Parts: sequence; structure tokens; C-alpha cells
Amino acid sequence: MLKMLKPNSIILHKTRPQVGQEIQACIGCNECLLACPAVSEPITIDVLNRETISGQVSAPVARFARSCYQCGACVAPCPVGLHRDAMMMWLKVRLLSMLDEG
Amino acid sequence: MQKQDEKGYPWFPFDINRQAFIPTLVTLVLVALAIASFFIYTRVSTDLSPDSVAGYTYAITGTIAMLLATVLYTRARHTRRSKTGQLNYALLWHIGLGVLALVLLFLHSFADFNPRSGTYALYGMIAIVISGAFGRTVDRLAPRLIASEARKALTEDGDDRIEAISRNIQAIVSHNTENIQGFNITKRGKRELSPAKTADRAPGSALPESWDLAYISLAETPQEANRNAQQYRFVPDPKSPLSDPGALIPGYSEQMEKLQFAQQALLRERFFRALIRYWRIFHVLMVLLTIGLTLWHLEYAATLLIPIFLHH
Repeated sequence: MLKMLKPNSIILHKTRPQVGQEIQACIGCNECLLACPAVSEPITIDVLNRETISGQVSAPVARFARSCYQCGACVAPCPVGLHRDAMMMWLKVRLLSMLDEG
Repeated sequence: MQKQDEKGYPWFPFDINRQAFIPTLVTLVLVALAIASFFIYTRVSTDLSPDSVAGYTYAITGTIAMLLATVLYTRARHTRRSKTGQLNYALLWHIGLGVLALVLLFLHSFADFNPRSGTYALYGMIAIVISGAFGRTVDRLAPRLIASEARKALTEDGDDRIEAISRNIQAIVSHNTENIQGFNITKRGKRELSPAKTADRAPGSALPESWDLAYISLAETPQEANRNAQQYRFVPDPKSPLSDPGALIPGYSEQMEKLQFAQQALLRERFFRALIRYWRIFHVLMVLLTIGLTLWHLEYAATLLIPIFLHH
């Protein structure tokens, strides 16, 4: 409870090169997905990583991206200190861009 | 896994969560049962008070539902999960049990809002459910807004827009500085072209100083302010287009507008992120407050019940 009240600084979005670096640094342990209260389907971390940065976005990954509410629960369990929430934000931005592209 | 291209990010996507089926169904059935039992009880019995048999039943089951909603989800969050999606399933039960608890405790009141402790506890419960429902709406809308603001602060290639604009401004300023440097003022106060410009001319072809009386020297007269002095500042006519901000540095004002636009997007992003975070804290504080009010109400109920049990 006290941890929740501790005022951590609010981290904003990351750029594509930064997201790319984080994805390359991901060791695929799946801890972020296990800690996530938004994911409801069995998505694997390698599929998520691949579709986050480029290419097509499959239906389960798109549903997960839309349901992610940036709570940051995925950040603390990461053993290499990555920001999965920032990667998910990039995926959201990609979905928005796809909407404009038609 | 079904591999199909999924595009777009609508405000209210109709994504069906298959995990939600059982918790939703169980909650609806239990709520329907509770309401049906209430109507049956009101037809059968004349004791329609919170301390009737049905009242106590609703109170006990409602309190259990409230505690389960709080404890199970908190426990699920703090234990290690073995499967993806387990926490989402726990969240769905948390929502279902919270709604069920509110219905049961509302039925427990039998619309008797005289005891202050119970009424405040019920109000607390209503506030928790409303804050939870609003929080879920925030969780749905705020990330969409954040994504839209983040997109404004990023270039099409996904780079930082502010950094790109800063580079543009730097390029404009250095370009203009080069132009200015190409038109130096000598120590004597005469303007002359820089060596790069004079190099184009043939040697010895420099124009001689005019002997004509009509010649106007560019050298400053003693009455004029010295251009090289610190206090010199060019002030254009207010009606002139030169007085517009950034008019003397073409392209600068456009870049500054873009910069301000990106900075405002970042501020809005920060606000939406803070809204998500602090609304969750508010919800947890509401839960703690309601638990306190419920304990106060239980103490009040105990003062009524203990003498009855002692007499029996």
C-alpha cells in the first residue's frame, strides 16, 4: 500500500529506436505477461515482440494492445528492467497509424 | 492461434473476452437470486428490517462477498502466476464480487437509512463500485488518448518530434547566422562583403570611395547609435510585417509552433497517465475507508446483538 503511494515519476512513451532496443534486450522470460491484469489470451512473448516492432498485428495481439491500460504492473517483475508498457504503447501507436492508413 | 491482420484502435472496441463468461454469468445469477429472494421474503414476512433473519443473511453474505472481492484480487496480484491471463480472470471475479456485495448490502438495508454507521458503510460501498466502474472506463479511454498524444509527439518514423524540431531550428539559426556573417561590419563602421563574397570579384576592381557630394556614407555619424554597441537593437515599425514574431528568422516561428504543439501533447500524455495512476490509488483508499466504516457498523451491530445472545 505504501509502495503504491510512493510518488514514482511518470514515464512517458518511448521512441521507435528505444522500443527496438528494449525488444532486443528482452530475454523472453514471460514474467511481464504473467504479471499483466489486462491480457486474457495465451499470447507468447516472442509473437508479441515480433508484432510490436514491425509487420502485421494478429487479432489476439491487437486485442491485448487495446486492453492494456498502462498500469505498469509488467515493469517491476522484469529481470532485466525493461518497460513492457512502453512497448505496448508503441503497439497502440502502430494500431492508430494503421487506422489512418486504412 | 488465428493469424489475421487486425487494424485500428476504436474508442470502444467490441473485443469479446472469453474468460469473462463464467464470472459474468455467476454474478448475474447470484444477483438475480438475491433480488428474487428479497421479493419472496417481502411477500412472506412482515419483519422487513435490517436486523431480520433475511437482513442478517444479506449482511453476512454481502460482507463475505466484499471481503472476497478485496482479498482474492489482492492475493492474486501478490502471488506468482503460472499461466498468462490468470490475473485478468481474478480481476473479472473482483468486479463480479464487488457488484454482488453492493446488491446484497443494499438489500440488507431494507431501505432503512436511519442507523448512521450502516448508511455510511453502504454509501462507501456505492462509492467503491462507482469509482471502480469509472476506473474501468478511464482504463479504456485514457490509454487511447495517451496513444493519440504520443503519436503527436513522435515523427512518422517513430523518432522524437521535439528532437527533430530542435534540429530544424538549429539548422535555421545556423543558416541565418551564416548569412549574417557573410555581411560583416568593419571596425571603421563600413559594411563590406565577406572574403567569400569578395573573392568573386577580380583583384583591384574594388569600387573607389565616391567623391560625389551625393554619396551617402554608411559610416555612422556621431549622432547615430553604434551598431556594435550592446544597447543596439533593431526595432521595426509596429505596422511592418517585420514586427511579426519570427519574421526576421524565416521558418523559425513555424517550427516554434510545432514545438509548442508537441510539448502540449506531452503535457496531456502526462495528465492522462497521472489520471490512471491516481484513480487507482483513490479506489484503494475508498476500499480502506469502506472497510473502516463497515467495522464501525459491525461494532454498532454487536452492541445490539450481544445483549440478545446473553439473555438467551
